[in-house]
Amino acid sequence: MFEVIVIAAAFAAPQGVEKIEFFEKKIRPILANRCYGCHSANAKKLKGGLLLDTHEGWANGGDSGEVIVPGDPDGSLLIQAVRRVHDKIQMPPKKPLPDAEVEALVKWVKMGAPDPRMRQAMGRKSKKIDVAAGREFWAFQPPRPEPVPPVKDAAWPRTDVDRFVRARQEQAGLEPNVDADRHTLIRRATIDLIGLPPTRKEVGAFVADDSPDAFAKVLDRLLASPQFGERWARHWLDIVRYAESTGRTRNFPYPVAWRYRDYVIDAFNADKPYDVFIREQLAGDLMPPSTDRDVQNARKIATGFLAIGTKDLNERNRQQYLMDQADDQIDVTGRAVMALTISCARCHDHKFDPIPTRDYYALAGIFRSSDLLDGYANRSRGNNNYAKGDRYHRLDLNKAQMPKPRVTAAPARPRKPRPKAAQRLKKIREELQQLAAERKRNRGKRAVQLRIRKRTNQLRREQKKLSGAGNRRRGGRQPLTGNEAMGVRDGAKPADMAVCIRGDITQKGERVPRGFLSVIPDAEHTHIAADTSGRLQLARWLTNADHPLTARVMVNRIWHHLFGCGLVRTVDNFGKAGERPSHPELLDYLALHFITDGWSIKKTIRAIMLSRTYQVASKKDAEKFTTDPDNRLLWRMSPRRLEAEVIRDAMLAVGGHLDLVPPKGSPVMGIPAGEMGRRGPVGKGFAATKRSIYLPIVRNFVPGMLGVFDFAEPSTITGRRDVTTVATQALFMMNSAFVIEQARHASERLLASNAQGAEERGDIAYRLALGRPATNSERQRVVSYVRDFMTSKPEKDAWASVFQAIFASAEFRYVR
Amino acid sequence: MPDLPAPTRRTFLKQAGSGLGYLAMAGLATEAAAASSILSSDSKGQGPHFRPRAKRVIRLFMQGGPSHVDTFDYKPELIANGGKAGGFAQEGFGRVRKNDKLLAPLWKFRQRGDSGLWISDLYPNLARMADDLCLLNGMHTDVAAHPQATIMAHTGSITFVRPSVGAWVLYGLGAENENLPGFVTINPLNRLGGAQNYGSAFLPASYQATKISNNKIANLANANLTTAEQRKQLDLVREMNEEMMQRAGGDAGVEGVINSFELAFRMQDSVPDVLDIATEPESVKQMYGIGNRATTRFGTQCLMARRLAEAGVRYIELTHNGWDQHKGLQAKLSSNALATDQPIAGLIADLKQRGLLDETLIVWGGEFGRTPVQQSAAGDGRRHNHRGYTSWMCGGGVRGGMRHGATDPMGFAAVEGKVHIHDLHATILHLLGLDHEKLTYRYSGRDFRLTDVHGNVVKEILA
Repeated sequence: MFEVIVIAAAFAAPQGVEKIEFFEKKIRPILANRCYGCHSANAKKLKGGLLLDTHEGWANGGDSGEVIVPGDPDGSLLIQAVRRVHDKIQMPPKKPLPDAEVEALVKWVKMGAPDPRMRQAMGRKSKKIDVAAGREFWAFQPPRPEPVPPVKDAAWPRTDVDRFVRARQEQAGLEPNVDADRHTLIRRATIDLIGLPPTRKEVGAFVADDSPDAFAKVLDRLLASPQFGERWARHWLDIVRYAESTGRTRNFPYPVAWRYRDYVIDAFNADKPYDVFIREQLAGDLMPPSTDRDVQNARKIATGFLAIGTKDLNERNRQQYLMDQADDQIDVTGRAVMALTISCARCHDHKFDPIPTRDYYALAGIFRSSDLLDGYANRSRGNNNYAKGDRYHRLDLNKAQMPKPRVTAAPARPRKPRPKAAQRLKKIREELQQLAAERKRNRGKRAVQLRIRKRTNQLRREQKKLSGAGNRRRGGRQPLTGNEAMGVRDGAKPADMAVCIRGDITQKGERVPRGFLSVIPDAEHTHIAADTSGRLQLARWLTNADHPLTARVMVNRIWHHLFGCGLVRTVDNFGKAGERPSHPELLDYLALHFITDGWSIKKTIRAIMLSRTYQVASKKDAEKFTTDPDNRLLWRMSPRRLEAEVIRDAMLAVGGHLDLVPPKGSPVMGIPAGEMGRRGPVGKGFAATKRSIYLPIVRNFVPGMLGVFDFAEPSTITGRRDVTTVATQALFMMNSAFVIEQARHASERLLASNAQGAEERGDIAYRLALGRPATNSERQRVVSYVRDFMTSKPEKDAWASVFQAIFASAEFRYVR
Repeated sequence: MPDLPAPTRRTFLKQAGSGLGYLAMAGLATEAAAASSILSSDSKGQGPHFRPRAKRVIRLFMQGGPSHVDTFDYKPELIANGGKAGGFAQEGFGRVRKNDKLLAPLWKFRQRGDSGLWISDLYPNLARMADDLCLLNGMHTDVAAHPQATIMAHTGSITFVRPSVGAWVLYGLGAENENLPGFVTINPLNRLGGAQNYGSAFLPASYQATKISNNKIANLANANLTTAEQRKQLDLVREMNEEMMQRAGGDAGVEGVINSFELAFRMQDSVPDVLDIATEPESVKQMYGIGNRATTRFGTQCLMARRLAEAGVRYIELTHNGWDQHKGLQAKLSSNALATDQPIAGLIADLKQRGLLDETLIVWGGEFGRTPVQQSAAGDGRRHNHRGYTSWMCGGGVRGGMRHGATDPMGFAAVEGKVHIHDLHATILHLLGLDHEKLTYRYSGRDFRLTDVHGNVVKEILA
């Protein structure tokens, strides 16, 4: 700051005394009276990023750029504003300045805008972003290979992960908990990896296995299970705001969004290298073509990542609509992959992170140069939201890969046919049946066949008209053929974008070449050719091994899902406003290993779970708790509430009614095209016994149970779900038809088993639902409860009530 | 939020009743998930920030855009000039053309009460409450399209998915009665934003509204068990949980679960009672027009709203559909007014006689208003108009018998005492003792608020 003063003082010298006098007499009072209210260090709220209380303030300009060009009043925005030549920028906003004051200001600018006010405004830093300085922040430094720290308690660690963790504990004088017992451990691992409780058999096998690699065997089995992908894909879907409708103003269905969901499940199951996974989602359509049809299809589907966001279909301004889309794409790319809130820089330089507005529009140019393929367009006059031309990726599929899309153009409102029409419709149906029969009888007779066909077509047309099925006033989209996928492709004319000043699409600033974030060096000195959007280059930059964020952010997400809390707890924000890592060296160690292990998610998970740190007991210890209540030093396993999906799937599994065969497609395929909500319930009853990941996720119609248990709001990017405990959850467990039904199934299953007598049944109930034997007191409690219950009701109701109680209990709903 | 020592049931209930009740509850359950720091945007000091004038809000949302010039915005010049060309230049007036004809109000306006507020004959009952109403004649919003304006009216944002006003209020003040949900919406829209209009977006899910449809809340009764049987079942659950807590070394997460069941059990008892209007005396039902064909439906909802308010629900929203009169203004506006006039007047009178009106803020309005010119030569209809419309407030800290703001002489655009929807939101929060600039929540690296960077409290209307 001192330097600034010195330099400024040097500038001040040549200003003549008369000029300074003019300033003091005429200009300073104007600025103070008319402008400081919003444009000074003491302003209640600084407007437009512009300071007028110092020379330096206005010399730096505001959000709209330069405001005073000394010597050129006409070219100075400040003068234009007080002359009120623009519609948008008129200053002062309420009352125009008296002419005399305007003239004084003009004169002042003409004489070179002399200004002796050199002291830097107190309390407000110069707002220009220093990207080079910003690079010093930990998250923008590349991960460093750190030596594994020495540990005094050398017997404790099993892996390097343990050494990093134990070393920190030793510094704090903290002892880790004892190892978890085997029942607890296998339930923990099974739920973490596949989102289901272990079966009795699996528990039995693990408990009995004395071999040193018993747990490793369990992990390998679970990682190879197809249920692994269904569990971990959902974590990713939270982050990428996955949903099957546009949401917001006009909520229209995305009938083929499910292909992206299935792509993510497959990717996790196949352990697709994470860098490839990211590249495909950003630019799969631009990758060098593969001869493998499935690979080609998957790459197109992957770009659905950029297409499944919310849309304001009722936005009439096309430019605004497209800009909002690009913003959604920048936001999801920034936060999902890099845990950076780049979107903040849409209207002004980022307040905390070294991301200038220019960078935002460099990225916006890339996304705006791509066409969105989601089947829709914004609504303008005479346009009904259905994009002209082919607004989908087309896949190369065989018949079996195309579940029958039941969706067709739907009537605007299902009208009840009028009585007369109903009669006529009945007649038509009858005649059609006769004609069909006639056609069968007259095979080979061309003339007859021709007449029949003609009449049939005539009748069908009339039928359509009468029943309203042909009304395409709203549902004007062509019926789906089944080979569609959502995504993006390069537009016809890729182009750079101009900065939109303060995010306003009508206020264009300088044009910015397409590019990436300037704070993160571009190791390959990428050149984005004029004829391409730049998505592929963006994808490569993101997945370059030198990128400081991509690998760190992902291993942190994995850690979060295994421990309930990331090493950086703000999993979606690695910027200044986010938290710092609790174990920075461990984070870097994991990130670097992730890359050298070929970006393998499964290997990373396996390595973490084989650590002793993952395997300690969760028991709360008063003394350790006082030292480290948040468990940042990982002295215990944090107990974690199960996600909505796991609670639901676990109840289905205990009842023996969980159908593990993935469904084909999604019920959203069957929702008539058009605004949802006008047409009654959405996807009710579908997938009732399938895993929860296959439930239809329609924005604003999230399935009830998921909503009750803190499902990730599908319009927001959610790397970490809330965990609330509220009465509506209790009501759901106590009274919902779903829970009662699963409890009944479990009871039937129990009574059908070969368990004899209440004592043994009680024990089996615990094993089925909680994966462990019941203790003596638990057994006795259940037995007496059942006996009491049976005084008025049959035994199966009694056991159903026990199961419901277990489902409702904290032990069932938590993993420890 | 740092981890809390395992609270007793008593401290828990105390917290549940105070402002941070739900947060505290959330905090308990997440001890484990450790990371509760983001759940509470701590130190920001959720409210009340100053002495509240109202304890709760009843919002009467008239979806579709009720015509202000036919109801609460008296425009003598429009009456005098009906049939003449409006002369509104195209720019800035959307689809309105210069030669579109002014449509004089179809109902007669009269001065009402001691205050002499002008209200049309559409609202004979409400007109009798004129001295309690505060008409906001200078309302305006950003967009003249139903979906955007509806979402805007509920969340203050078109561009992004944001929490609804009710969710913010509940986040700020917590529940008044821990045996009831704090935010209730009766028969909400399932389109035009649908659940977004009563959702919690990035706020924890516990702040979203509980929906009442067909006079019921989901999962409030068990079809199989008697109350006694269910009590025994819950005792079993509690014993399981207590034993679990012993084993786990005293775990606040479990305590949270135990408490949630006790609360749920009480809710099962109290909520149906609150919603059951059968016990109301006939005279009260008549006040709301229950029993008359036209008014029973909305009257029932209004009476339910009073019972919820009385029981201490923070934010109650009622929705009445179908105010979008592009044509058939005469017939449809009459029937809408008929269906809602007596129920709303009854609600005000009833709250008043119980001494609740002072602490209950009623907010009436649609997502925008309608044009003074007619839609087409053919029929009696008006277009959407976001540049000027009317809402009114009543009760909880607002001056009665007052008219604030005005549209231009024809009733097209707000020109005086302009109140943007952000200002309305700021004012609602203010009346509840919340500073709209201080009620923030940290998400995605920054602090969000209902009014974003906008909003001015309409000081003139404060009592």
